[in-house]
Amino acid sequence: MGIVIALVIAFVVLAAWIVMIYNKLISLIEAANNNYKQIDVQLDRRYKVFESLINVVKQYMNYEQSTLKEVVALRNQAQQAQAAGDEKRRIAAENDISNIVSGLNVVFEQYPDLKANQNALQLQEEIVNTENKLAFAKQAYNDSVERYNVARKSFFESLVVSGFPKLYKDFIYWSLPADQLQQKENYTVKL
Amino acid sequence: MTPALASEAAPDWRGQLSRNQSRTQWVIAIFFLIYLSLGFLLDLYFYARLYPVAPLALIAQALLTLHLIPYATLILFGIAAISLWVTYGLYDKVILMGTDHLEVTSQSAHTAAEKKLYNVVEELTLAAGLRFMPRVFLIDADYMNAFASGYSEKSAMVAITRGLMNKLDRSELQAVMAHELSHIRHLDIKLTLTASVLSNIILMVVDILFYGLLYGRDDRDKRSQGLVTIVLLLRFLLPVVTLLLMLYLSRTREYMADAGCVELMRDNTPLARALIKIDQDHQANKAVYRQQYDMTAHEEVRRAAYLYDPIQAGIEPVRSISSLFSTHPSVKDRLKALGFQ
Repeated sequence: MGIVIALVIAFVVLAAWIVMIYNKLISLIEAANNNYKQIDVQLDRRYKVFESLINVVKQYMNYEQSTLKEVVALRNQAQQAQAAGDEKRRIAAENDISNIVSGLNVVFEQYPDLKANQNALQLQEEIVNTENKLAFAKQAYNDSVERYNVARKSFFESLVVSGFPKLYKDFIYWSLPADQLQQKENYTVKL
Repeated sequence: MTPALASEAAPDWRGQLSRNQSRTQWVIAIFFLIYLSLGFLLDLYFYARLYPVAPLALIAQALLTLHLIPYATLILFGIAAISLWVTYGLYDKVILMGTDHLEVTSQSAHTAAEKKLYNVVEELTLAAGLRFMPRVFLIDADYMNAFASGYSEKSAMVAITRGLMNKLDRSELQAVMAHELSHIRHLDIKLTLTASVLSNIILMVVDILFYGLLYGRDDRDKRSQGLVTIVLLLRFLLPVVTLLLMLYLSRTREYMADAGCVELMRDNTPLARALIKIDQDHQANKAVYRQQYDMTAHEEVRRAAYLYDPIQAGIEPVRSISSLFSTHPSVKDRLKALGFQ
């Protein structure tokens, strides 16, 4: 009799414990999913901000006409890649937009007229804000992937994961593609 | 940049966070033990009066084996729960008491600096993965300080003085906000608030016991001698113990928020620069700031929450025994923890 009770208690404790691990992993997965969507939200916001920014800058420089076209083209590429489910191509296109923006900040420095323009100053703050938000959204996503991966690969949790295929997700860390990485590592400032 | 910042070591923010987390758990465990033993003493006292002939050891044994229901302990925990509930509900209003403040929202931000402040908080809310944007308050004061409050992510707020907003550059402002949002993320305000409410209740109960024994004592009852000695000891020891626990807790949480700031910024220099700037600014404008802190009413409720404890610059807004000790680690120690000598 005593053995039966002990077994039942052990079983209940084990079940409760598995449920706890299961719920924890689910909430980690959902946090990572949500943080991933947050990157989308920020990318969308950035596109709109840059459109209005380029419209302001356009009055000063013809050069920006082509930049606008380039941004729109890259944006389309990114959207098509997203629709096709090609994450790598999408990330590459979005990163190219970031490159154009750092070019824009240099343009700002070259035109004293533009620097003095109040609208342009506000927009410059807006660029910093937008790029920071995007960077922090990526960072938060990577952090949540890290938390999930640590939990998934830990001992005990990994046993539960092997029992429930639903708990296994292969999140990709948001990072630069290898060729771009090399290019950025080699980059030096030429004055 | 300050030369002190030249020697840079990689800050181990993960290690800092977990070390401080276990320190906090110790403090909470000790508080819980104090509560249990205090409730036990109270029960012992009341049951001893109820059963005048029973020996104390027997009553103690009956209480420990739950043959006697420990009413006093239950009531003590009940009082603690109600006080906490009321405090949580009112705290947001209490913390801004006496300051000249305004709320900054995306609509109400007029100047470029206010807009920048709001943007910075928005960015770090994303970085911290908070589900709610905290409310942002701007305090009209020249001294440089900031604090966070709220008992949950949802009710959270950050406040910053105009002096801080105007004197820091963007990355330093980001670091300060990352520190404050880390307080929210770690639920520090809730923790320190809970600890202070609980320690106040402890002190009140010991006082009640003390006076109860002093005036209500039956001289023919030999058993109460031991109780009187214990309560006398507690009356002088517990205030010191709770004060030390509180200080240990708030200093630990300060280090944790600094580590959390590095975690969000992935860079330890901006916070170090901001701390040095704030410290130097307080030293340079000591007289003016002393007056300003003095003129702001209810400064004591914000003291533990501040980014920088003005006492460290020799400014004492609160004149009480506890202001002998700083609620914060010294700026030097904080810089050291950040990886700077």
